[in-house]
Amino acid sequence: MREFWLGRLTSHSLPHDWVMVGGTATFIAMFLFAAVILTRTKRWKWLWNDWLTSVDPKKIGIMYFLVAGFMLIRGGIDVILMWLQQVLAVDGSQGILSADHYQQIFTAHGNIMVFFVAMGFIFGLINYIVPLQIGARDLASPLLNTLGFWLYVGGVVMINMFFVFGGEYAATGWLAVAPLSGIDFSPGVGVDYWIWSLQISGIGTTLGAINFIMTILKMRAPGMTLGKMPLFTWASLFSMLMAVAVFPLLTATLFLQFFDRYFGAHFFTALGGGDPMMYTNLIWMWGHPEVYILMLPAFGIFSEVVSTFSRKPIASYTANVLGMAGVSVLALSVWLHHFFTMGASSDVNAFFGLVTLVISIPTAVLFFTWIATMHKGLIRFDTPMLWFLGFVTIFTIGGVSGLVLAFPPADFQLHNSLFLVAHFHSNVIGGVLFGIFSGISYWFPKIAGFRLNERIGRNAFWCWIIGFCMSFIPMYILGIMGATRRLDHYESSTGYQPFFIIMLLGGIVIAVGLTLQIVQILASIIQRGHLRDNTGDPWNGRTLEWATASPPPFYNFTVIPHVMTRDAFLDMKRLGQFDQQYEDILIPKNTAVGIYIAILAFLVGFGFVWHINSLVVISLIGIIIIFAKRAFSEDSEYTLRAEEVEKLEAKRIAKVPAHEKEVKSLADEEDMSVWDFVRYVITFAMDIIRNKKWKTW
Amino acid sequence: MSTIAPHDENEQKTVSSYVVGFILSLIFTFTPYLLVVNHYISGRALLITILTFAMAQLLVQVIFFLHLGRGANARWNVYFFVGTFIAMLIVVVGSVVIISNLHNNATTLDQTRKIIDSEGIYQVSGELTGACQGRHTNHQIVIKAGKSSPILTIAAKCDTLTFVNKDAVDGQIMFGTRTKQTTYAGLDKLAVRKDHTKTISLSETGTFKFYDSLRPVVSGSFAVVDDK
Amino acid sequence: MVNHKAHQAAADDRVMFGFWVYLMTDLLVFSVLFAVYAVLHGNTVGGDAGRDLFSLPLALQETILLLTSSFTCGLGLLAARSYKKWQTLICFGITFLLGALFLSLEMKEFTEFIREGQTLQLNAFLSSFFVLVGTHGLHITSGLLWMAITMAYILKRGLNAPLVRKLALLSLFWHFLDIVWIFIFTIVYLGAYS
Repeated sequence: MREFWLGRLTSHSLPHDWVMVGGTATFIAMFLFAAVILTRTKRWKWLWNDWLTSVDPKKIGIMYFLVAGFMLIRGGIDVILMWLQQVLAVDGSQGILSADHYQQIFTAHGNIMVFFVAMGFIFGLINYIVPLQIGARDLASPLLNTLGFWLYVGGVVMINMFFVFGGEYAATGWLAVAPLSGIDFSPGVGVDYWIWSLQISGIGTTLGAINFIMTILKMRAPGMTLGKMPLFTWASLFSMLMAVAVFPLLTATLFLQFFDRYFGAHFFTALGGGDPMMYTNLIWMWGHPEVYILMLPAFGIFSEVVSTFSRKPIASYTANVLGMAGVSVLALSVWLHHFFTMGASSDVNAFFGLVTLVISIPTAVLFFTWIATMHKGLIRFDTPMLWFLGFVTIFTIGGVSGLVLAFPPADFQLHNSLFLVAHFHSNVIGGVLFGIFSGISYWFPKIAGFRLNERIGRNAFWCWIIGFCMSFIPMYILGIMGATRRLDHYESSTGYQPFFIIMLLGGIVIAVGLTLQIVQILASIIQRGHLRDNTGDPWNGRTLEWATASPPPFYNFTVIPHVMTRDAFLDMKRLGQFDQQYEDILIPKNTAVGIYIAILAFLVGFGFVWHINSLVVISLIGIIIIFAKRAFSEDSEYTLRAEEVEKLEAKRIAKVPAHEKEVKSLADEEDMSVWDFVRYVITFAMDIIRNKKWKTW
Repeated sequence: MSTIAPHDENEQKTVSSYVVGFILSLIFTFTPYLLVVNHYISGRALLITILTFAMAQLLVQVIFFLHLGRGANARWNVYFFVGTFIAMLIVVVGSVVIISNLHNNATTLDQTRKIIDSEGIYQVSGELTGACQGRHTNHQIVIKAGKSSPILTIAAKCDTLTFVNKDAVDGQIMFGTRTKQTTYAGLDKLAVRKDHTKTISLSETGTFKFYDSLRPVVSGSFAVVDDK
Repeated sequence: MVNHKAHQAAADDRVMFGFWVYLMTDLLVFSVLFAVYAVLHGNTVGGDAGRDLFSLPLALQETILLLTSSFTCGLGLLAARSYKKWQTLICFGITFLLGALFLSLEMKEFTEFIREGQTLQLNAFLSSFFVLVGTHGLHITSGLLWMAITMAYILKRGLNAPLVRKLALLSLFWHFLDIVWIFIFTIVYLGAYS
């Protein structure tokens, strides 16, 4: 009976060492804190109605940013722990972490950064920006979008669940290669958490990708042919196409691994005829394109940023699109370069090595379109552009080191070394993360209605660049010296330690950069009156997202624009063509279906992790019932009448003071500096303490 | 796709399309079935033939049942179908090629034995592998009405031996006797289901007894002699 | 002022397309299972191979059942398009029965194997067989469930435009499952004898 309701959960599953208790306590404290604030300010209803059940892609986008931001900090703490361990664990010293704990940390770091930080930010940006860029009021299926988001959140909760139940995460590396991840070698619940965290969020990604493909292909504004689509939308389309092509492979592979672990099947086991290399083969068929799924939207962001800040249309739009298409197609056929050392013959290795080299050609085409765009442009060096320049430098280093690794003979020497780790961090940080930062600082005025503080943004940028070089250039050197990845202890005679110390210092500089970015957002909120942008178009933008107010109304556009050219909005501004005919708008109703299904999907996963079959069955039945009810209900939209739209518009325009209706200069002299911010916070805190203001809260 | 539009201008035409599709599918199902059951062809040629029929049926169903490519907005559906087909080919063919290449190049013990058998490698670095070179005579032991005949089979090394179960019950051949079980060339048992056959290759020399563990009345022996 | 008819047509077109893309992702899931079967089907670790286990007549029966159900499903959709309620219900009823019969044959095969000790824990070949064929069976089960619910709604609400749209999706799903089965029949069952 106990087994039926609780499976393998016992009191031993609760946390019992200080790290886990600390983690659990932190999470509980955070929830309690949030709960207290919500109750005090009577915001529960607001939270549920306006945010959690919202189907507005803009709100979902912001929620993606928040979750991904938290996970970025969470994954960053993992890095500092790992690098501290590598500095300390020399000779007799064992450092601060046990070998097992260290393995769990690097596994969690990889999973969190790829699935929940990069994917989260990318999906957030696509959610917010793509509908605006194509002049759509909503996504093709608002329900699928909220479901996708909540499944992503389900994955986030699942990956952190081990703090509370079980106390161990997978100690297998981020892809949990077989047979190590099989039940014989990893008998604990760690790998199960890994499977279900990825499975739930992966299914969410597939659904989200289907939705965006439908949206981009079928919901563009009238006149916007494929050849007139903004480049970020193109990039998102390619990224989502790849996601649709490869995430099912991940789903199936995880499903098989689950069968091995739960039912004792023999797909990837060492015994019973299973083939562990088949696992490696399948997981990289997904894993390699996954990197490009993250990378392409970043390319798209850079195309927008370069063009806007060089005040020129992108040089050779067609070459740019074809370059992205080439990258996406080739990305599907290079996966074997992740396991050149598996033992395949030189023919096979040579083929995949060559395709890997070839992929640098379309990538280089993209770079040349950006450089050609800057050529003779009136370049403005605002933070989005700075991130782009940082990207060009660091991504090139990463790309060239990737070419080195693409040669199988060189790879035999360098595989599994820190050289490889430095290579893909150059690409993922220099490419994806910088792209995200560039995109966020570029579109922040659209999202918030005021732009970000330039000064602190620039400080943060330089911290990131310097910190990155301090961390990863020593890492390249360590790799060539022979330091393997995932190293938790070494002898001082290897001479690694000085480099690890520089790496840690670099990590601290990056942490300062990250802190400055948080400060930047806070300082911008404090100074929002000064930074406010009432035009909706602070950068003299070219594409449709700048054609509407900042932040956009929930129906995105009062009037759906008619697109004539590629730089649709720029030409509208030039020609002064604006339609003012209001019309009725169909708005999808908010729904809690996504959140309910995600909770049940989470419970299915949790039930499988702990072998609680009753929970699995009940949750599955729940999902079926909710689906059946929702699928046959016909009531999911309401009409916003044209008169109401007109009233809302009038209200918004009335709020804007007349003198602020023109574009403000972007000079940043008046932006507060970090020190101003610190002074402000201290004054604020002193004010609260002196006047005992907390009593009135 | 036409399935979207509720106003089909020519319903009769659509019905006939389903009928044509159904008949063609039936033909493409029965033909490979008969090819296999009657052993007209075998091996790789058979595999290619039946896969061709499957592909033909795929096309038939896509055209006549799914009506892919018909209707106003069909373009994207076709593109996605073709794209998915290519991705599937990459996944299946890629996996098969990569893994079989791997096994030829860096083999597990099990795989090595399979390659030795299938390629007839009878010596590795000067040592005999026990594999047989070329094909030799096939001997049959027929199990019928609870008896196996012949009682004693004499065969040369590298010949093959086939157990034919003509009874209506399943059999499980074990080696040695009921009290003292042995193995033959690493094999401890051999399931021969009703109306099925099982063939082993005779790589170990000596005299061996066998019996049916499910029906102890069935028993016999065979001798393998080295013909060199 | 909103043109509801045009709006609905565009929404239908999107849903149909989105469902099509979903089917493509499902095909890719099957492609992994097929790849795994292709790679592992020989790894029997001394156990029975496919040709010792599979009964071709049974597989043929299953194939014909599913093929016929796909055909009746198509006829049902045609009837639904012309809003012939009972004709629709009869066609989909037959489809449901044929599907259920298919499923029961598959269950029979599975239980027979398991009774003989040929379980998915035995070796890689059986693991890949059970999961490939079982995943298809699971799809059939959900298709049947969907069909049953839709038919219940038709009985309750009568045949209306939204339900015809649901039937169009359902029949797409059902044809798709038949196509996957062709390849299971060819590669798993017939292929075992090549």
